[in-house]
Amino acid sequence: MFKDLDPILHSQLRLAVMSLLISVKEAEFTFIREKTNSTAGNLSVQVQKLKDAGYIDVIKQFKDNYPQTVCKITKPGIRAFEEYVVSLQSYLGNGKP
Amino acid sequence: MTQPEKNLTEKESLDLIAKMISQAKNSYHDTGRSAMLWGTVVAVCSLVKFTEIQLDYNLPFDIYWLTILAIIPQIFISRKESKDRKVTTYDDIYMDYVWLGFGICIGLMILIVNTMGYHWQPVAEEYSKLSGKESPFQLYEFVGPLFLVLYGMPTFITGAACKFRPMLWGGIICWVCCVITVFTPVKTDLLLIAFSAVFAWLIPGIIMERDYRSAKKGLAQANV
Repeated sequence: MFKDLDPILHSQLRLAVMSLLISVKEAEFTFIREKTNSTAGNLSVQVQKLKDAGYIDVIKQFKDNYPQTVCKITKPGIRAFEEYVVSLQSYLGNGKP
Repeated sequence: MTQPEKNLTEKESLDLIAKMISQAKNSYHDTGRSAMLWGTVVAVCSLVKFTEIQLDYNLPFDIYWLTILAIIPQIFISRKESKDRKVTTYDDIYMDYVWLGFGICIGLMILIVNTMGYHWQPVAEEYSKLSGKESPFQLYEFVGPLFLVLYGMPTFITGAACKFRPMLWGGIICWVCCVITVFTPVKTDLLLIAFSAVFAWLIPGIIMERDYRSAKKGLAQANV
């Protein structure tokens, strides 16, 4: 029996954001935008969805008088990501050849 | 990634995860400025001390005070690097702690060596007075190896953890020089310390700085 894939994570940009954040302690919004090659508006929307799901923390602060947004993955986010990867592997491992 | 809700196949999802993790891992390049600073400072201090002994002169101050002064530019370098850093990886945090621990160890080693010297000096003088010969054990002969053993540790760990071979070899060079300095006079020790500082920090620092600049240039061109 296959588990349903987490719909929050099973989307290209959100998954890209989570995959970046799982490997680092924290990252600036601009860094995520560069690496995911996304637009600021689109990324903002997806980041907000991840935040609403409790998967990431978004810290808005000022650095040298400029606004700065820092994102970091939360413990529920790590758990959800790990479960998502396990589900993917089970799909691929048990899928049709 | 212009389609916000594009769903992926399982295979595409796994490929995306692998790609993003790899991008995050390769995202940070150290500037190499700290390594260049300390490589230069330690090499200069050792070489100046060597010339003091070789040419029999004394500077009006102890050249090793330069290592204390170098903390000031180091603070500026660290603040600038922290400001420019857009992402903090777990490796960065471990490396920061390794080098902070190294700095503390160096401070403690200076304290230990000076205290030992303070207590040993009257014993050596007493020995000379009674025997008419110089003491066969001179503490300063072993100061070089003690510092070299410490220099090697964070350098080797950084080189191994960051897969940066010049620093890995630099750490090994420190330890090889450490073994040699156990058996060589102080003048040779000072030359070997300068040699180690150049190969463990200055040269790797120059390579890191070059890589950092080319990565930054590449990123700027990609964003045009």
